[in-house]
Amino acid sequence: MYAALLPDRLPWWIAGPALGLLVTGFFLVANQPLGATGAYVETANTVLRRPGAVTWRARYFVGIALGGFIAASLTDTGFAPRAGYDTLTAEWPLGVVAVVVFVGAIVMGFGARMAGGCTSGHGICGTAQRSPASWAAMMSFMASAVATTWIVHLLTGGSV
Amino acid sequence: MNRAIAHKLAGLAFGAGFGFVLGAARLHEYDTIHDMLLLREPDVFLLMGGAIGVSLPLLWLLERAGATTLLGGRLALSRSRAQRHHVVGGITFGVGWAVVGTCPAPALVMLASGAGLGAVAVAGLFVGLRLRDVQTSRRAVAPTVGDGEHHEVPALAH
Repeated sequence: MYAALLPDRLPWWIAGPALGLLVTGFFLVANQPLGATGAYVETANTVLRRPGAVTWRARYFVGIALGGFIAASLTDTGFAPRAGYDTLTAEWPLGVVAVVVFVGAIVMGFGARMAGGCTSGHGICGTAQRSPASWAAMMSFMASAVATTWIVHLLTGGSV
Repeated sequence: MNRAIAHKLAGLAFGAGFGFVLGAARLHEYDTIHDMLLLREPDVFLLMGGAIGVSLPLLWLLERAGATTLLGGRLALSRSRAQRHHVVGGITFGVGWAVVGTCPAPALVMLASGAGLGAVAVAGLFVGLRLRDVQTSRRAVAPTVGDGEHHEVPALAH
C-alpha cells in the first residue's frame, strides 16, 4: 500500500482559487471557457461524426475523466469499482436509484442545453466574464436546486 | 506544432486539471452536493465563490489590457443579456442537479472514480442534451450558445 498523496478532501480555499486559475489559464491559452455542457455536445458530435464537430472538446471531455481518475487514485480510498450513491441505495433498491439518476440526468441535460451552460459554464466561467445571462442562470439553478432538495428532503421524511 | 494539435493537447491538459480539482475536492460525491444544497455546509458555495473571486478580476484586468491568447487570438469574453431561456433552463437544470446530486463535469469524475451509477448519470445527460437539440431543430430555432459555451474559433473547429 502507498500513503495517500492527497488529503481526503481538498479544502475549498485551495480548490476554489485553483479552479479560478484554471479558468483564467484556459482563456489565456485557448480563449475558451472551462465548461462541461459543450464538451458533452461536441463529444457526441465527434463520436457520431456529425459535420462541424468541435473535436478538441472531445479530448477535453476525456481529460476531465482522466483528471478525476488521477485524483481518485491519489486519495486514501483510491479508485474503487462500486455502484456509488450509498446514501440513496441505503434507502431504495439499486434499480430504483438507477432510474431516478437517469431521469434526473435527462432533466439536467435538457435544462443545461436550454440555459446554454451548467454549473461550470454559467456558474463559474460565465459569471467570471461578468455576463448578465450567466448570473441569471446561476441564480435560477441555485434557487431551484436548493428548493428541490428541500422538497425531496421533507417528502421523504428527512431520509434523503 | 500544428495549431489544431496544440488545441487538442490544451483541451486534454486543462480538462485533466479541471477533473483533478473536482475529484480532489470531492465534488463528484453525491453527499458533498446534497449537503451543499441542504445548506448543511457552505464549502461548495465558498469553493465556487473562490473560483469566481480569482478569475473575475483577473479576466477583467486581462481584457482591459487587451491580452492576446496563446492559441485563440485576442482575449474575447462574452457577455449576453439575460433572457427567458437562461432562467427557465437554469430552473430546469437545478431540479435535475438536486435529484442527481451531481452536474455534468463531476458526473464524469464520479464515473472515472469507479462508480457505476456515474455512467447512468452521464448517459442521461447525453439523452437530455440531445432531446433539447431535437426540440429546437423541430421549432427551427438555433440552439442557444451561452457564455458557458463560448463561440468556437471557426478555424479550429475541426
